[in-house]
Parts: sequence; structure tokens; C-alpha cells
Amino acid sequence: MKRTGRRLSFLKQSNLVLHSPLRHVDPRVKLAMCLCVSMGILLPLPRLVVFMGIYLLVLLWARLLPSAAAQVWRLKWVLLVLFVFDWWLISLNLAVTITLRLILLACVLSLVFATTTPVEFTLALEKLGLPYRYAFSIGLAFHSLGLVEEEWLSIQEAQTARGAYTPMQLSLKPRELRKTVQAVGEYVSLVVPTIVLAVKRAWSITEAAYARGFDSPERRPYRQLRFTTQDVLLMAASLLVTVLLLFWR
Amino acid sequence: MSVKFRLEEAGFAYPQEGLGLQPLSLTIERGEGLLVAGHSGSGKSTLARLLVGLIPHLYHGCLQGEVWLDDLLTAQTPLWELTRRAGLVFQNPASQMLTTSVEEEIIFGLENLGLSQREIQERTTEALRTFNLEPLRRRSPQTLSGGEQQKLALASILARRPPALVLDEPLSMLDSTSALDFVDTLNSGLQEGRTLVICEHRLEYLQAIKGLRTLHLNGQQTGAAENQPEMTAPLEDHRRHGLTGDHFQIQVHHLTVERGGQRILDNLEFTLHSGEVVALVGPNGAGKTTLLRALAGLQKAHGLISAVESGRAEPPSLGMVFQNPDIQLFNPTVREEILYRLPQPDLELYDWLMHILDLERYAGTPPLLLSEGEKRRVALATTLMRRPRHGVLLDEPSLGQDRNHKAILRQALRHLADSGQVVLMATHDLELASSADRMILLSKYGILEDGPAETVMQNQAAWDRLGLRVPDWVRG
Repeated sequence: MKRTGRRLSFLKQSNLVLHSPLRHVDPRVKLAMCLCVSMGILLPLPRLVVFMGIYLLVLLWARLLPSAAAQVWRLKWVLLVLFVFDWWLISLNLAVTITLRLILLACVLSLVFATTTPVEFTLALEKLGLPYRYAFSIGLAFHSLGLVEEEWLSIQEAQTARGAYTPMQLSLKPRELRKTVQAVGEYVSLVVPTIVLAVKRAWSITEAAYARGFDSPERRPYRQLRFTTQDVLLMAASLLVTVLLLFWR
Repeated sequence: MSVKFRLEEAGFAYPQEGLGLQPLSLTIERGEGLLVAGHSGSGKSTLARLLVGLIPHLYHGCLQGEVWLDDLLTAQTPLWELTRRAGLVFQNPASQMLTTSVEEEIIFGLENLGLSQREIQERTTEALRTFNLEPLRRRSPQTLSGGEQQKLALASILARRPPALVLDEPLSMLDSTSALDFVDTLNSGLQEGRTLVICEHRLEYLQAIKGLRTLHLNGQQTGAAENQPEMTAPLEDHRRHGLTGDHFQIQVHHLTVERGGQRILDNLEFTLHSGEVVALVGPNGAGKTTLLRALAGLQKAHGLISAVESGRAEPPSLGMVFQNPDIQLFNPTVREEILYRLPQPDLELYDWLMHILDLERYAGTPPLLLSEGEKRRVALATTLMRRPRHGVLLDEPSLGQDRNHKAILRQALRHLADSGQVVLMATHDLELASSADRMILLSKYGILEDGPAETVMQNQAAWDRLGLRVPDWVRG
């Protein structure tokens, strides 16, 4: 008696890491930290390795290492394929550099998404000058990724229950190509309801938001963002590191 | 403050389906209550959207006539100004959740009114208290049961205190206590001068609202829906359609389900017998859906579930019809949906199912274009076409079904049981539940009562322990 089906891991939204010291840092500062760390991709390989080492220590301090590792693990097949192709077609040096850069970018997302709720994220975008309707939509999209996965699992369960879907292994071996085509066909019973539900949900959410005055010019946010001393220090450190990176590259 | 609605030959047709609302003129006075009745597809939801201005602001299609909300012509007034005056609660609460916590869901609508932080806090607390949502305030709306989500959708709109309320099937997922409490809230609102428009199939609950005027909508499908299919012919035939089995029992021992560190079902023990229709009743969040999923083998659980037939035990083969039919339907026509992946379909059984479920006229229609009630019947037909050996599990089968179709559903379930199958349905609809052979009352603490439906219905002590009120008209 267990839930059937495999998880669509790449769509899984990171869980909030409540005990992280970054949990209550202003989301704008976390976005600045993200930008700062992303600058690391400009570095050549040896310096990139050193920078990643330092970044790992930051993740360790922020208690975000498991969350970042999970993020990278979800991309393992993409990273592997890119690594093999780059090595095969160009050089090992380039393959390592590109893979490390992608790992860095994947880890960067944890700084914000593992420590920030969609409401805080929306508020931060709004404070940064993005019109509310766009900030809200981005926040909603961020929150909805996890829901798509939940829905995918429910659909898989329902279709398995009625015999319209049989989980099958995908294989690239020529001898098993027919099975693979069949396995892809199995997904039709999952993909169609997923798309239909996603479109319906998007529409229902639009209606629900407008029915609660989403387009009101009188809106006053309930939650407020305020810079603390820790926020100012972290922001200053981020700026400093960004400047250093620009010179160091 | 109260508002008045006025429709002048107002109607609407959707571009894809052509369905919608046929032109009508109507005035709903300040402080008046209007019940909109009509079968599935008669245009109740379209009328609700027209009244608050979502049509034509968000919908493209053919709008005729004019809709006025006091002195505001809805087509020319911004939506935020209209929704300040008239709040709309939609049919399906699960898809209306915008935020990541129950509390935030209520706050969202209040922020848009431009209220102070203190006022928002006060109104949020009050709304949570009114709908008994305080213990859930930090929970994600997506993790709530259907009934809890419906309460939250209602709380989110009522907290905005609109002078008029338009409600599209607000009671469909509520348990009897929540439904009766909500009707009390509506009654007080009406006494205070709030204008009220309710589109609802569970009409009996609304009898408590005084002075409610009724509007009967007659959509394009009126004639067809009112003609109930002949239910006599299949009675003699059902056994040879293969939905039959010898006498068996489905035995459940020590069934326990835990999710997220929380015990949802605790050590349940019961037996289902072939040939019986069993209603599973309990308050919102009691674990009814979880129990059905465990019986269908879709939920990780501890314990033993087995079908025992002639002394031989095996895992039961039970088909399940889910609460949301959209997750099952994907084929281009109803016929293809029902016959999907059946190498040698029994077309006699197909015809029988189409007949008893009143789906014959929709054989060539895309299932996703049907009404919620019709989709639910298609989902039931797809499950039954596969001839589950031991029976069928239904999660809230009467949702979206009008009175006629509920009667059809009841008879269809009776036929299944008569053919030797087990029918287990989780439902809030006490009228449907009371027509079952047997009733199981499930609470968070386990099974409180299990016995013949008639006896359980009269056992007031058990209902008190369950925390559910039984309306008098159900006991009748």
C-alpha cells in the first residue's frame, strides 16, 4: 500500500529552511547576495574553484548546504550530459569550467528560495520598484512550481488507478526503442490533464485575485520590510565582494 | 450600506462553447436574498460572474444587455470598485488559493481595500474565528481538505465585508455543521441588510434563510436534463454485464496512515460486505479521502486490507472515482474516454453505463467541456468499464449534481451493489448518505459508529461525539 509513481524532482520547490540565519534577512539583501555570488561565473577555472570553496563555507554557515546540494542533484543529468559533450567536442578544461559555473548558479538560488516565502519575495520585488501586478505574478509562479509537482503526482495516481497509465522505464538502447516509444505514449494520459489543470488553475487564480480587488489602486501591504543592522552589513559585504570579483577576474 | 443589482436583458455566450446565460431582466433589491436554482449548465455561474463584473472584464464572448450594480454600469467600472461592493465566492475552492498560508489568504483581500495594519489584523482574527480556522492559520491552503478550503474561500471574501455577496455553490464541500453555521451567518448578514445571491444545489439547507426569493434558470439543456433515463431496463441485465461477484468481504485490520509526522487514520477495523452501499461520513479533515486512497492501494499505510472470498484472501480490486474529475479526463470524446485502453470493450456494458448515468447525448462531446457533475459521472463510467472485481470507491460523488442527477447517481450505485459489488462513498451530503445501506461515522479519533444508515442517523449521541449537526429534514 504505497503511493505509486516517480517524483518529478526538477519541479520540486525547495522547502523553507527555518533555522537558517538568512531566514529573517531582508529578501532584497538576499537578492543582492545572489547577484554577487553569480558574478563568480566570470572567474577563470583556478579562481572559480577557490571562490566556490569560499561559497561552500558561506552555505555551511547559512545551513543551506543540504538544500543547495539537493538543487544540484536535481540537475545531475543535465550537468552530466553537458560535461560529456563539452569534453568530447571542446576540452576537459572548458567542460569543468562550464559545469562548475552551472553548479554555482544552481546553488545561488538556495540563498533566496530556501529562506524566503513567496509573500516576502513579492514584497521585495515590489520594494525594488517592480509594479505590484508583475511582482505578484512572479511570486505566484515561484509558489506554483511545487503545486505542479503535487498535481502531476495526483494525476499519475488517478490514471494508474483507472489503468490509463503504466509506469515504464525509458531506455535509449536500440533494442528497447519500441518500449521507449510506448513509455513516451504513456505520458499522454498525464501531460494532457496536467496542462489542462495548469491552465484552469491559472484562470481560476486570476479570477480569485480580481474578485478580491487585485487591481485596486488603494492597496496597502500588511507586511513591511525594514533594514536591520545585519542587513546593512550583509549588503555592504555583498557589494565589496562584487567589486573584488570584478577586479580579480 | 447595501447594494442593488439590476440586469436589463443581460445575457452572455462564451466563444468556445456557445453556452452561458440566455438574456434575462432582473432586479435584486437592497437587502434582498435571491436563490438561483437550475440544473447543471443552466448558467448559474455565468450569472454570478455577470453580477460582480468578472464578465465582461475578464471574459471574452458575446455580452448582451446591461448589468448595473447600484449606479455603476459593470462593463464600464473598474473591477476593484465593483468587488468592493459585491464579493464573489467561486465553485471550486482548491483552485482559488493564492498564497502559502491560511492567514495570508485572508490578508490578501484586505490589503487591497487599503486598510490599516491594525484593521487587517482584527478582521483576519475575526474571520479565522468565525470559520473555526484558527488552528490552521499557519497551514498551507493546499494541504487543507476540500471543506476546509471552502471555509477559507468564504472567510477570505466575508472578511472584506462587502455589502453584497454572490455565492456559487458555497455549501457543496461543507460538512453539515459547517453548512448550517454558514447558513446562520448568511441569515444574519441578510437581517443586517446585506444583499445575497446564492447559486446552490443543496437547497434544503437554505430553507433556514427567511424571505429568500427563488429564480429558476432554464438553460439550453433544460429539456434533456429533466428527462430522467428509464432506470428499469438495466435492473434485470446488470448481472450479465460482469459487474458481479460471489459473496465476499473486504476486511480492514489495524489500518493506520501517517503523513508528515501526523497520524491521519489510527488503527481502523471494519469489514465491508458485497452487495452493500456504505456511506462514509465525517467532519472536514477527518481522513475520509485518505481512507479511500488506502483501500484503493494508493496510500502508504500500515495494517491489512484483504478481500476474503470462499475462505481465500487476496488484495482487493477496487476502482476509485476521485473528488476532482479533471485529473482523470484527457481523451477527445466521452466515448473514447470511457473505452480508453480496453482491447475488447464490452459495448453492452458501455451502453448500459451511458444509459444509467445519463451520458448518452454526450458520447461525442469532449469530456473537459462538460459541467462538473457530468464530468464526475464520466469518471465513474471510466472506472466501472474496467470492471473492478470487488467494487468502487467514490469521493464526494454528489458534488455539482443537481437533484435529478443525484437521484440517477443513487440508483446507479444501488444497481452496482445489487450486482454484488461493494460501493463505499465518502460524502458530506447527508441526504445521499442516509439512502445508503450502512453508514460509518469517521472522526479524527477513529470510527465512532458503524451500522445500518437508518439507525446511525437516529443516534444523536454519536453525531454529538462526531461534532456534526444533522438537519431535521434529513431525519425527516
